[in-house]
Amino acid sequence: MSETNEVKWRNPLAVWPGGKEIEELPTNAWHSHQDVWRARRESKTKLYPVGRLRYWYKFAGHGGRLWSRMRYWPTRRRVLDVRGEYNRKTLQREKTVADRRPIYWLLCLAALAIAPLLAPSNMQYTLLVAGATFGIYAAINLCWNLVIGIGGIFSLATYSIVGTSAFITAYLSIQYGFSWWMLAPIGAVVGLLFGAVIAFPATRLDGFYYALLTLGLNELCRVYFTTSSEFGGSNGGLYGADSYIPDSWSSDHQLLLGYYACFGLMLAALFLHRFVGGRRIGRLLRMAPEKREAFAEATGVDFRRARVWIFLIYAAALGFIGGFYVTNFGGVSFSIFSFDAVLLGLAMLVIGGIGRPEGAVAGTLIVVFLDKVMLGLGPLRLVLVGLIALLVVLYLRNGLFGIKTQFRAWRDKKKSEHRSTRAEKGGEMLPEEATETDDKGIVYARRFDKMTRDHLKTLVSPEIIEEHRVTLNGQHSDALERLLIYFRTREQVEKYGILNVVPFKNYRIVAFSGHKGVPPRLVEDRIYPSYDAACHGVFLRRVQDLLES
Amino acid sequence: MDIWFVISNAIVLATIYGTLAIGISITWSSLGLLNLGYGFVFAFSGYGAWLTAQYISPWGGAVLAGGILSGALCGVLINALAFIPIHDKPNFTMRGMIATLAINLIGTQALLWWFGPRSKSLPPIFGYWKVSLGDLVLTGDKIGSVVTAILMLVIVLRWMQSSRRGLEIRAMMMNPHAASIVGIGVRQTSFFVMSITGALAGLAAVLLSNTYYISPFGGLTPMIKGVSIALCGGLGSVRGAVIAAIILGFNEAITNVTIGGRYVLITQFLLIIAILLVRPRGIAGLLDRAREA
Amino acid sequence: MHGTVSANPAPEEPKPGAPAVLHISQLSAGYGPMRVIHDLDLIVGAGQRIGLVGLNGHGKSTLFYAIAGLTGWQRGSIKLNGKEVGRNRSQGPGRYTHLVVRSGLALIPQGDEIFHGLSVEEHLDSGAFTAESWRDRANRKDRVLTIFPHLKTLLTVPVGRLSGGERRMVSIGRGLMTDASLFLVDEPSLGLAPKIGRAVIDALMEIDLGNSAMVIAEQNVALLEGRVDRVIGMHVGKLTGEASAALSLSGKEKG
Repeated sequence: MSETNEVKWRNPLAVWPGGKEIEELPTNAWHSHQDVWRARRESKTKLYPVGRLRYWYKFAGHGGRLWSRMRYWPTRRRVLDVRGEYNRKTLQREKTVADRRPIYWLLCLAALAIAPLLAPSNMQYTLLVAGATFGIYAAINLCWNLVIGIGGIFSLATYSIVGTSAFITAYLSIQYGFSWWMLAPIGAVVGLLFGAVIAFPATRLDGFYYALLTLGLNELCRVYFTTSSEFGGSNGGLYGADSYIPDSWSSDHQLLLGYYACFGLMLAALFLHRFVGGRRIGRLLRMAPEKREAFAEATGVDFRRARVWIFLIYAAALGFIGGFYVTNFGGVSFSIFSFDAVLLGLAMLVIGGIGRPEGAVAGTLIVVFLDKVMLGLGPLRLVLVGLIALLVVLYLRNGLFGIKTQFRAWRDKKKSEHRSTRAEKGGEMLPEEATETDDKGIVYARRFDKMTRDHLKTLVSPEIIEEHRVTLNGQHSDALERLLIYFRTREQVEKYGILNVVPFKNYRIVAFSGHKGVPPRLVEDRIYPSYDAACHGVFLRRVQDLLES
Repeated sequence: MDIWFVISNAIVLATIYGTLAIGISITWSSLGLLNLGYGFVFAFSGYGAWLTAQYISPWGGAVLAGGILSGALCGVLINALAFIPIHDKPNFTMRGMIATLAINLIGTQALLWWFGPRSKSLPPIFGYWKVSLGDLVLTGDKIGSVVTAILMLVIVLRWMQSSRRGLEIRAMMMNPHAASIVGIGVRQTSFFVMSITGALAGLAAVLLSNTYYISPFGGLTPMIKGVSIALCGGLGSVRGAVIAAIILGFNEAITNVTIGGRYVLITQFLLIIAILLVRPRGIAGLLDRAREA
Repeated sequence: MHGTVSANPAPEEPKPGAPAVLHISQLSAGYGPMRVIHDLDLIVGAGQRIGLVGLNGHGKSTLFYAIAGLTGWQRGSIKLNGKEVGRNRSQGPGRYTHLVVRSGLALIPQGDEIFHGLSVEEHLDSGAFTAESWRDRANRKDRVLTIFPHLKTLLTVPVGRLSGGERRMVSIGRGLMTDASLFLVDEPSLGLAPKIGRAVIDALMEIDLGNSAMVIAEQNVALLEGRVDRVIGMHVGKLTGEASAALSLSGKEKG
């Protein structure tokens, strides 16, 4: 597309005898076909080296040894989900740990187990008491997570179940002298009964209706227990129940025993979570999240029954924890029914992320640390917890442990947006198509074709067309030669041909169908007087098609 | 006669709780936000009214206006914090509810820190006069509360029926997606909704200040009563909330007389559970036929 | 000689003085990681009635939603009456819709996007959202009722009780309550009995557009054939058919 007419093309064959009379013709200034490529491949933004996989250690794998896996003994469950892969770049077998969460769990639990030995001695008392509280609250939250996260029942009655069971067991222990080992099982029975009463509305009500109902239930329990004289309405709670911690031990050992007992309770709750959430009932419930119950029912899932079951398990486990609470602290106060207790519990779940055990435990750790260790902050502690919960809810979709998926979703969205600014049409495959094409060669062939056409479009100029008209055959200038070579290599479909209607007088242009048995079709009404004119006509059509593509 | 006293009391409470419940109902159905920060709005507007009485004028009208205005202000605050940032994000209903709970926690702790735990009381708003109707003696306070609450409700409902803003809010209650297609700005409208429901809570706070003194955590019980009435009436239905308020008010009166005040909450919850088991969408499930269409 | 062959065919701008009602260029839009509209250009002139034809899932509704700002993200320029309403960053869907609607768009959505509990009259009122149309709403209601006389008998009935065809009339009537310059009608005959669907389309054809324009998305080409100014096909997020010829308003002839 040069504007100057100064550039001339000299026919190298003109000096030879028998050569054409035309010696010089105006043509385009030459420019490299690489320019299009370079402009195309250049990034408008600064690029950084990407990918973090290069920091990942890959175990060398062996095909045969891949199948000897460690399993939990009586089951076929694997300890670690290890995936064998073949690296296409290095041509090596590799092993990848597909799910590294068990390793992290083990490390964190080990850290919690040895934490009392590492506690600074001046903080020993505070930390151990906080640690015991953490164990109990983590267990409560794990059970809560069963119904909220897996069961899809938005129950806020957790602390009323724990509190009711705790008050009743404490009352039994004080009045009738039940010893400590009976309290937790009795608590479980109380919880089961309590759960049975409130499980029925859970099967009928929508999530938020049930949340509000159980919130009211909590208030009901609070009012009932604080106004009743049997449950110590005057002195703020029931104290003096039998405890499993022997009085004869030194206070350090008592604290340590309390800590490890609560830690054990948390482990038990984790196992419960794993076995209920990961087994059949958990699968059934995950199939029937809120608003999709009808679908689950249509596929034959009896979600109501599964919900009642998980609710009963949750209530019984919470009752057990209530009984344990009494034996651990030797009593229970009314504050367990307070609205702030519900709020703090919900904050623990929300901060970590609802629906995951790691979220429940981590959230509990954060909130208990703020509430029980940072005692110097005074009432600001609760404000701080509230602020964290608020920020997490406002900015994170599913708590701290949902950050990864949220980040990925955000990155995918951004990627797609940026791609939409970069990609342009013109025969090239769009990224969506490209991912679905098995033969990646086609993707690159199409891209190469697009680049070539982009370059060739810059070559079309009146001079070239004039040159083609004058010298149909023989030696051409560089630009024209490139165009012609490109045209000759096109596929059969829609390729043009020349139809000789009357020899030496009457030529027309046809287009081949490209299919056997389907005749060519006329493309225009124009009649060309000579074969050369028809050839030039085909050339013009091709140029037109190229420019329009 | 004792029973008349109890019943008149129940009517007073029913109107005031009904005011709260209608606020919760409107918020839920137009914004999809379950405002559990209502207890904080309640306490905040109580303190607003107290400050007005303390520093501006102890005249009843001024105190009432102070309470209503601070309630509206607090509603706007909650809207800006808990609705505007996340209303178009996934999982909004749950996140919104938890955000309002967190605001409740922060707000009540802040009030505790600023005003201290001692509860405050307001000057009498409607004076000390009385009306005797045979056995029944009605204090000016009761009549004033009922009249004010009903007046406010009628004004709000009339406004929602006839004005452009009210039509926008109702349209948003029915179908938020279609509302945005019609050109109703969700964010703009949400400020109106929240300030109005906040104002309703503020009114209830001032009217209830004789029953529940103004304290940082004093909003909790009224909020739970309001929530349970809204729940029983069917979230989103104004008529359902009114009927539920009357039913629960009479339940409270009858329970008080027959088996004692301790059991009020128990009978109330048994009643609510019974209603919800029959009609999972509350009384509104009986009223609105076009709802599920 | 073929003088039309120019080396650099620039897309021609519409004639100055009569700005197009809608001028979309290089629009891409989608939801999350999915891209539904690919680099689309469309010009709709004043007074034009255009049919947009395509199969399910090829982006007709998404195109309308993108114009209204209801998609997850979008890029490219959308000019409504010469005013830029497209956004180049991702925004919450619907966050700016009311502003777009205020600058002269009436979107009549697919299916039953109606307010079940409102009566027909209130429903029509809800279409008149701007202060001017609100004051003028009685006149506008009369105008709509002359187009759909059937609605006169139903004014106080809640919309939730109407039949499908009546609902569609209400929905279209709601769109007509505004003084919009661009009407986007999404699948007006969808889910209706053929006769009623045809009646709805007939009513749309009878509306006096004046200076505004109307785009009707429809799967049933036969209903639109010969009754609209031009028909544009839509295929996997791109415009096909007459679109490319129609794009260059100069009416260039091929050699």
